[in-house]
Amino acid sequence: MKRLQLLRWSSSALSARARAGVRLQQNIYRGARYQTTVSPAAQSENDQLADEQTFPPHFSSNPQQSKYALPSPPVEAARESAKLAALHARLYLPSRLPLETLARSLVDASADPNPNFNNESLATLGHDLLTYYTSEHLLCTYPRLPLTVIFAAMYAYVGPKTLTAMAREWGVDWAAAPGGEVDPGLLQFQRLLPGTELNSEGATMRPNAHQKSWRKSVTSRIVYDNEYGEQSTTQSLADAQGAQGGVSFERANATFVRALMGSIYLHAGRPAAKRFFEQHFLSRHLNISELFNFSQPARDLSRLCARENFEPPVAKIISETGRKSRHPVFIVGIFSGKDKLGEGSGASLLEARSRAAVAALKGWYLYSPLNVRVPSSTEEEGAAPWKPVHVDLGEVIV
Amino acid sequence: MPVQGIKAVTTARNGVGAFILQCKRLDFHYCDWAGSSRGMVAFLKHKLPAIAKENPQIEIRVSPRPHRHPVIKGQYINGREKAICVRNLEPEQIVNKVSLLKEASGEKLKRIKKPVSSINESVRGIWSPFHGEYKGI
Repeated sequence: MKRLQLLRWSSSALSARARAGVRLQQNIYRGARYQTTVSPAAQSENDQLADEQTFPPHFSSNPQQSKYALPSPPVEAARESAKLAALHARLYLPSRLPLETLARSLVDASADPNPNFNNESLATLGHDLLTYYTSEHLLCTYPRLPLTVIFAAMYAYVGPKTLTAMAREWGVDWAAAPGGEVDPGLLQFQRLLPGTELNSEGATMRPNAHQKSWRKSVTSRIVYDNEYGEQSTTQSLADAQGAQGGVSFERANATFVRALMGSIYLHAGRPAAKRFFEQHFLSRHLNISELFNFSQPARDLSRLCARENFEPPVAKIISETGRKSRHPVFIVGIFSGKDKLGEGSGASLLEARSRAAVAALKGWYLYSPLNVRVPSSTEEEGAAPWKPVHVDLGEVIV
Repeated sequence: MPVQGIKAVTTARNGVGAFILQCKRLDFHYCDWAGSSRGMVAFLKHKLPAIAKENPQIEIRVSPRPHRHPVIKGQYINGREKAICVRNLEPEQIVNKVSLLKEASGEKLKRIKKPVSSINESVRGIWSPFHGEYKGI
């Protein structure tokens, strides 16, 4: 979760100037290589990145005849679409966001490969914004979360599955096939051919990536993998696009939601984008305490107590009933000195103890400071100066 | 690996952050000739423009359906459809039917027995017989 410089990114998404960058900017490279409206200096840089591709120009002289020749609806059709206007009003989008941009964010790169008319650059920006806002919210609100749980929470908030569900809940319909005559209020993408391998793994910078059985450490997942702790598949899907020409339903919907976020940021500014994020993404319900999966909670807890210089944890029976019956119940508490760290109930002593240890660990990891602020809140005008938030040592290393 | 994350998906709470109106489309069908459509035709001429302006989030379609009773159909985000026949109704009555369709969630009608339903767990907690002091009788 690096510090992101969004203003610079948005300009790069618009003018497609390529910069030598990090893993997160690789999408910008791919968007940049198709651009034809960049300055000669930037063009020469782009030539080194990738070979030039030419696209047939969009016709606009005779719309009635050429409409069927276009890969995506013409720009002027956006003003005539009732579906598009209804979607704009349904999402309470800012009036500064024009219908034409909303129509563009509904066109996937598989429908129209021309980067001036598809949503790829917008989606790159929107993806960066979404992951930035989510990660700063998670890190400031729950400073002690283990990194694997942060990955899972990121996936839950802005993962492709969630974005697809959101597009469905916004009432976004999709066209059966893309084309110039299609209503611009429909999501347009080229379908995958039946039998296409979905989980093809892409190129990664990870050394020894071919060794499937090797353990992947959490630290290496930060460096080499994407924001959900998975091997990134963007590159491989782009290659697949070239070969078969299609994207999955989930990917097209997620790209649309990201592109919408990016277009709100570009047209209506940062406060509007942040409000949209809070209203549509953060307001969704996620119980973070259900994202933990402990393998040996008692061992983790004793390591945690040793690290924090607490007294070693001791499990004690608080209450029990029916020890020799068919349904015994034990209530076990875990104590560190005189402090009760956690409590759990179970049908056996071991089960109750491990549940108590899980409760104690969750009580530690789910600590949340009061009145938490996020770094991006200081970007507003007249904001109070930034006070450092709690930074934790991190999860226990066993 | 001490602790693993479990993949999940956040659940929507419509109205907590943003509110999405569940009715996404209204179809108005009428007949120019038949008497049962007289109120519907007057509604389309005089009332519908104002309603459409008030509710920009609903896509509105008007189409003739000759020799049939007039019908209003609502399409909802959950994929369901509600249809109301408005034969022989006055324009004011049709306005009420339209607002009924607009405010519906699209779900099947069902009896709600509890006044409150929530996905948050109870603040008070569940009573446990194993905690607290023993009270002798």
